[in-house]
Amino acid sequence: MSEPAIKLEDWAQGIPMRAGPVSLGLYQPSPETMEYWRGIERRELMIRHCGHCNRFFHPKRIVCSDCGSPDLTWKKAAGNGKVYSFSEIHRAPSEAFAKGAPYINGIVRLEEGVHLFTRFIPDPGLVKIDAPARLDFRVLESNWLLPVFLVG
Amino acid sequence: MASKLGYSAAIVGIGRCMTKRDDAEKLTALQLGSISSAQAIQKAGIKRSQVGAFFTGRCPTSYRTLQYNQTLLNELKIAPIFNTEVTAHGAGALGTIELGVLAVNSGLCDYALCVTNEASGVWLKDKVGQNAAGESNPQFEAPFGPTTPSLYAQVACRYMHEYGATSEMLAKVGVESRNWAITHPYAAMRNRGKITIDDVLNSRMIASPLHLLDCAVNYPGGISTAFIITRADLAKNHPNPTWIAGFGQQTTHEWISERMGAYDLDPIGAEPNLTNTGCATAAKQAYEMSGLKPKDIDIVQTSAPFSFVHLMMLEELGFCKKGEGGPFVMDGNIDADGGLPFCTMGGYLSFGQMAQGLYNLHETVDQIWGQAEGRQVPDAEVGLVHGHGGILASHSVMIVSRERAA
Ligand SMILES: [Zn+2]
Repeated sequence: MSEPAIKLEDWAQGIPMRAGPVSLGLYQPSPETMEYWRGIERRELMIRHCGHCNRFFHPKRIVCSDCGSPDLTWKKAAGNGKVYSFSEIHRAPSEAFAKGAPYINGIVRLEEGVHLFTRFIPDPGLVKIDAPARLDFRVLESNWLLPVFLVG
Repeated sequence: MASKLGYSAAIVGIGRCMTKRDDAEKLTALQLGSISSAQAIQKAGIKRSQVGAFFTGRCPTSYRTLQYNQTLLNELKIAPIFNTEVTAHGAGALGTIELGVLAVNSGLCDYALCVTNEASGVWLKDKVGQNAAGESNPQFEAPFGPTTPSLYAQVACRYMHEYGATSEMLAKVGVESRNWAITHPYAAMRNRGKITIDDVLNSRMIASPLHLLDCAVNYPGGISTAFIITRADLAKNHPNPTWIAGFGQQTTHEWISERMGAYDLDPIGAEPNLTNTGCATAAKQAYEMSGLKPKDIDIVQTSAPFSFVHLMMLEELGFCKKGEGGPFVMDGNIDADGGLPFCTMGGYLSFGQMAQGLYNLHETVDQIWGQAEGRQVPDAEVGLVHGHGGILASHSVMIVSRERAA
């Protein structure tokens, strides 16, 4: 069901990402983000952390924005956050996603201070700015297992 | 008082070539770019051997080559000593002119040719799917099924929350854009008639809070514009030079959700946010370089693909205070009748949008010389053009003038 069977040796070639028959472009689980994708397979949300500055970063960060150190480590996010921004999508990018429309994508602010793009699911409350959001994992229309946030 | 770079160069030749989706013989971006460039060289009265610098916007989405700058250079048989493709997304279109100004002032060459060309509206299909793939981070955004409107909508959501802008205020931009478009012979929506605020609010929801009529129209054709730039002492030998009074540019991020990882930077400030953009920095630089202020500007173009972006840009360009773009437009300040002449071709909402272009700059030069193809703005002498690349990541601002200030 969940598709990211990630082979590191393939990353430079790019793995075509598809939603049903529609290509979504190149999905590239690059070496620097592999631990994020492995975490998802374990149903854990992994983010980057600088031990010198005790600051958390987006899983894609390579060097600390404060001290410039490349010694970032992976930490498991607690999974609690708030809705920062959102949009309910009525016109989907492809036939596959249209099956789930309307759906809500947005930016979540984790309690660690990191902002991530995600899918918001109204459960049990409505999606609005600053509403509490908690981590879950769902297979979305793209057929990928992804970190989503339940709101309310 | 203008700074050293202010009024240091001028546009002395312009070329343009267009194609339409329903033309019997549709032209490619490469054909458009070649024809408009040759025309600009001819209009400037120079030889191709005099083109010392050659800057192109990013490779047209409808004509992919690995080194498009050389693809076009090869057609023109020019041999510049400076040449490169300017990315900075859509803002790179004006970036070509900015580099042109720097090149001709370097003392190493006399003339720069700056070209953008695109024919995506003729040759590409399924813009919704393509944009979703091209404008979102392939690992961290695209798998969730975003569309371009829904990515901009993240900013709209915050802008309306932080500043109290309403859907009616957003809609008013669409109404006035259409009022200009119906006067322009090449606007995509020229034959669609006027619209009302209710028409916008009743159009179908694309990605909340953006309705169909809050969104740009994909331009149903292709346009290339080419400009010859030269420095002040040589410009005086050409008839009717258009002076580049000032310019500025800033880029703050790649993908919109990663913009939230940026902090301690102008113009973002200490805390991450989505609503302070590089347009403010670019505008400040352009005003300082030119010695001009917002009140000196007679005509304004912005490359804003969604209604709310116009409100944000009016604020950051200094025409009203931060957060007051909504009340500013509701008070009639951008009305096609009597307001600030704003997006005089109909803007992206009603003229139409292409992946890149300098047709905004072409229109502005036409207007300040009294040669507008659509409705002429009376007594326009100084124009401001804003270019932007998604998603609110890159911004360029350029001020052009008919007269050369001291
Ligand atoms: Zn650090």
